[in-house]
Amino acid sequence: MSCTCNNHSEHNDIPTRTDAIINSVGRSRSMVIPLLQALQTEFGYLPSEALKRVYEQTDIDSAQLVSVSTFYTQFRHIPLGKHQIRVCTGTACHVKGAGNVFDAFIRHLEIPEGEISSADRLFSVEKIACLGCCTLAPVVQIDEKIYGHVVPGRVKEVIEDFLQSISEQEKEESRKAKRQVAGEVRLGMGSCCMASGSADIYKELQTASAQLGVEVGIKPVGCVGVCNKVPLIDVVSDDGSIHRYPNVKAIEIKEILHRHFKPSGYLKRLQNNILGHIDIFHTDITWNNVVWKSEHERTGLVSRFLAAQKHISTEGFGLLAPLNIDEYIAHGGFEALQKAIASPASDIIQTILSSGLRGRGGGGFPTGKKWEIVASVPSRSKYMICNGDEGDPGAFMDRMMLESYPFRVIEGMLIAACAVGADKGIFYIRSEYPLAVTRIRTAVELCRERGFVGDNIAGSDFSFSISVFEGAGAFVCGEETALIASIEGDRGFPRQRPPYPAVSGLHGLPTLVNNVETLSQAPYIVKHGADVYSSVGTASSKGTKVFALAGKINHGGLIEVPMGITLRQIIEDIGGGVEGGRRLKAVQIGGPSGGCIPAELCDSPVDFDALTKLGAMMGSGGLVVLSEDDCMVDVARYFLSFTCDQSCGKCTFCRVGTRRMLDILNKICSGKGTLADIDLLEELAANVKRSSLCGLGKTAPNPVLTTLKYFRNEYEEHAAGRCRTGTCKDMVKYVVTQDCIGCTKCSKACPVDAIPYTPYELHTINVEACVRCGLCIDECRYQAIRKIGLRENINEYEYSN
Amino acid sequence: MSMNILINDTAVIAGENETLIEAARRAGVDIPSLCYARGAVHKSSCMICAVKDCRTGQIIPACTTIPSEGMQIDTRCEEVILSRTLSLELLLSDHRADCEAPCSIVCPHGLDVERMLAFYDEDKTEQAHQTIAAAFPLPEIKCNSCKAPCEKACRRGSIDKHVAIRSIIAEICSRSDSAKPSANGTDLPAPAKSQFLSRLGRFTEAERIRIKESLAGGSRCLHCACGGRNGCKLRLYAGQMGIKRSRYDAASASQVMIRQKIADKLWFEPAKCIKCGLCVYNSTNGFTFKGRGFVMQIVLPEENRQNVDRSFAQLCPSGAIYLSDNPEKIYEQ
Repeated sequence: MSCTCNNHSEHNDIPTRTDAIINSVGRSRSMVIPLLQALQTEFGYLPSEALKRVYEQTDIDSAQLVSVSTFYTQFRHIPLGKHQIRVCTGTACHVKGAGNVFDAFIRHLEIPEGEISSADRLFSVEKIACLGCCTLAPVVQIDEKIYGHVVPGRVKEVIEDFLQSISEQEKEESRKAKRQVAGEVRLGMGSCCMASGSADIYKELQTASAQLGVEVGIKPVGCVGVCNKVPLIDVVSDDGSIHRYPNVKAIEIKEILHRHFKPSGYLKRLQNNILGHIDIFHTDITWNNVVWKSEHERTGLVSRFLAAQKHISTEGFGLLAPLNIDEYIAHGGFEALQKAIASPASDIIQTILSSGLRGRGGGGFPTGKKWEIVASVPSRSKYMICNGDEGDPGAFMDRMMLESYPFRVIEGMLIAACAVGADKGIFYIRSEYPLAVTRIRTAVELCRERGFVGDNIAGSDFSFSISVFEGAGAFVCGEETALIASIEGDRGFPRQRPPYPAVSGLHGLPTLVNNVETLSQAPYIVKHGADVYSSVGTASSKGTKVFALAGKINHGGLIEVPMGITLRQIIEDIGGGVEGGRRLKAVQIGGPSGGCIPAELCDSPVDFDALTKLGAMMGSGGLVVLSEDDCMVDVARYFLSFTCDQSCGKCTFCRVGTRRMLDILNKICSGKGTLADIDLLEELAANVKRSSLCGLGKTAPNPVLTTLKYFRNEYEEHAAGRCRTGTCKDMVKYVVTQDCIGCTKCSKACPVDAIPYTPYELHTINVEACVRCGLCIDECRYQAIRKIGLRENINEYEYSN
Repeated sequence: MSMNILINDTAVIAGENETLIEAARRAGVDIPSLCYARGAVHKSSCMICAVKDCRTGQIIPACTTIPSEGMQIDTRCEEVILSRTLSLELLLSDHRADCEAPCSIVCPHGLDVERMLAFYDEDKTEQAHQTIAAAFPLPEIKCNSCKAPCEKACRRGSIDKHVAIRSIIAEICSRSDSAKPSANGTDLPAPAKSQFLSRLGRFTEAERIRIKESLAGGSRCLHCACGGRNGCKLRLYAGQMGIKRSRYDAASASQVMIRQKIADKLWFEPAKCIKCGLCVYNSTNGFTFKGRGFVMQIVLPEENRQNVDRSFAQLCPSGAIYLSDNPEKIYEQ
């Protein structure tokens, strides 16, 4: 009664608000994940009062609540700061120094060790597995806003920019196209594009065209696949010619529009000319920007980037608006579905079988075979699950497909369902991909309106319903039995197969689980025939594969290449070679399940079996290019720390084995390892691979085994106390060379004051205080700061180099 | 439908829905297992029951594999033995507990020092005295001439100061009024030194502080000896496979010596748990998993204690859930 607490009503509110959520979501045990997700959206975390209420009001008991709410990364039991800073630690970000960026945020916000929030509770900082914007690495997300290319020195700037952006009240500018359109501007609106600021560009396009009186249609399209060149716009003039502008800035929009479109009236035109010139004289940015370069120079690289590719999954890239169903139909969409409905199921399965399509999720199991098994099990009801739980750090092709080509994935799912006789469809999409979730939900709704989803599809007796399930953050749920367990409301523990889900899956019913990319290839195969499809690729791997090309590469992005292309072709012809002219050391393919293929073997083709033979695997499609500056032991350790963290914990080899491997790797990377440790590691890795229960554990040692196989000398160097690239922090010290002119830049940049302020004198670094964040190296214009081994001294170093 | 399979080249007929381990055991082939219990719900975890499927070359868990027609299984080859040994070593590296108390192991005269101290802490001076007398008839003399390795081995020593074992023995002997202790004053066997001995290792700083602050008791003894060591399968197999020490650095996510009283005489000590899940799968709203991966624990929420009975001590393969008469000290976190 005498409580003066401001939040009094809020406290009392929790049970009421919880009850409302329970009423709208449901009370059964299988609803536990959606229920917890809804609670977290409501409260920002899972308050214990709310959990108690769930326990009292539903069929979910406390054992299940504890078990599920602590298994998935998404759920939090303590409140976070007002704004969440998520530092991406995906592979591409890792090799570009995400660890230092994370440390810089912690230092800047003065967050005490072991905590995640700043003292004023304004910000909390956490690492996130992958934001799927690998080409902008290192990437940081603050609430909904994504910042690319964040270096430790820019942390302050990023936070200030964010605070400014939220204080500015955003004006809603909606301008309906009400006049005749002179042309069209297409703008990529995938996550990468959004991250690079395409939302700003979109707004600027609207404002600029209004100001200029130019009548153009502005059309947001899906991912254009040239993520290193985003934001990217295509201007389609009234004569039909297309001009592509990569890396556009908001400030250039007016200029671009002005160039292509004539304003409607003479006066307006004159006014624009004058205003335009004044603008140019007043902003010097315009002088340096790309607008003044020749058309060819601007688009040359991009065209070359696209030339070696082949588009099946990504057919219509940069052309189709993701959610325009009419456009999709106009471009031949749903033709394959009509064909599938009209033909006997066995014909469709036969087509998929003879096309040679293999599962794109990693394992490479023949898709047609899987369909055949599910189709052969008699059951009144069957499930079809689209696996979009892409958790691989460094891969984002599923996200891109779901965001940009939702109708194609849905069509693929419908074809599969029709062929195997499934009646219920579920999209399993990780909740870290909110845009993909919304797009699929909307697209399903649009399909339902047109009669492509629902009862008696296209007038046939084929009925199919689709729902969306948001994954709560567990890499292991990419494994089909774990995925099914998670839909059923359990921890994502895989189980021993057989029985395969094809026979007994979700709720005991036959269940077909296919990856997003696999399904997106199906419409093409059905439409064009198995022969057309299988003419692309190698003897055992047909069709195309989508890769997320990232790392130390000049032009990263999302690429779709024909199977059989060599890794070197991808790097040189598509990626434009290694960044900064460095030497190629290895290609990491397949993420945490894959391996590192050394430069000398990069002429091997992209093919399921060829890659497996090399000790790597196709995996889900991450392709990270590593240069001579990357430490292979550190790369192995990075992947292992990921799998160790993501292990579900069910079987000994994966739970304890990966951890013990990581212990040994940490020891080696800290310079304390011995040659005997390397042998112990190798023996353990081989056995974890052989004896783990599921795919996660069986493939987790691959990064270690391949680096041991191809780069054993680097391990041995570490055991002898040397990390040649200076990546392993515990094995290097920073020193100042004679090239230093005493400009004090490094001293000002140092976050821990390890460099005394000594103007015009040779600077020194206090090795004890130094945290080896690399800021001084970035700052120094004279390359006067070097990383050297602990036992080396600077004179020897200069001599040997 | 029964299946014809070959186990180590011997033909075996597996019954309907019978798993490999059941078929093999019925045929007289022994396959070790921790996370499997006949008649209980079990899901492969420990991987001690690894066998080789000769046709695919894969190592598979025998406890959940349903044989298929013509399957050929090898339970004895080198790969299988290595896999089993490694999985045991891995489990032991995350099993931070002593099988026997260090003091009892080192006593040159075979006195179960820890047991004696347990009686002492319960004020059962008579039984404490009998324990001593069973080991040596004239304690005053024996202990006075001894260099007291028991006190040097005492784990309490690494926290603050070792338990004053010799003074306590002297005190017991002076207080005891039975002039003639019976030779068979105890019904439990003496510590089996020949068996496998798991060792706790070093305390972390946090553990040291916690134990020091939470412990009170007559002798100050930590009672390191495992309450569930009799019938511990983990110990049994480690001994059978000739494991001395795990070759991996021991580090555990859970703190040592947290002993929770579940019910009368029923105890749970998480640091000994091998996370096989038997107690989780076989209780309804009882034990549950918490977290995932290496830091995954098995917990029993307070409100679920009523749903668990003594049968779980029998089910637990690693002595983490055990029955004990001794009102042991509880070191809650």
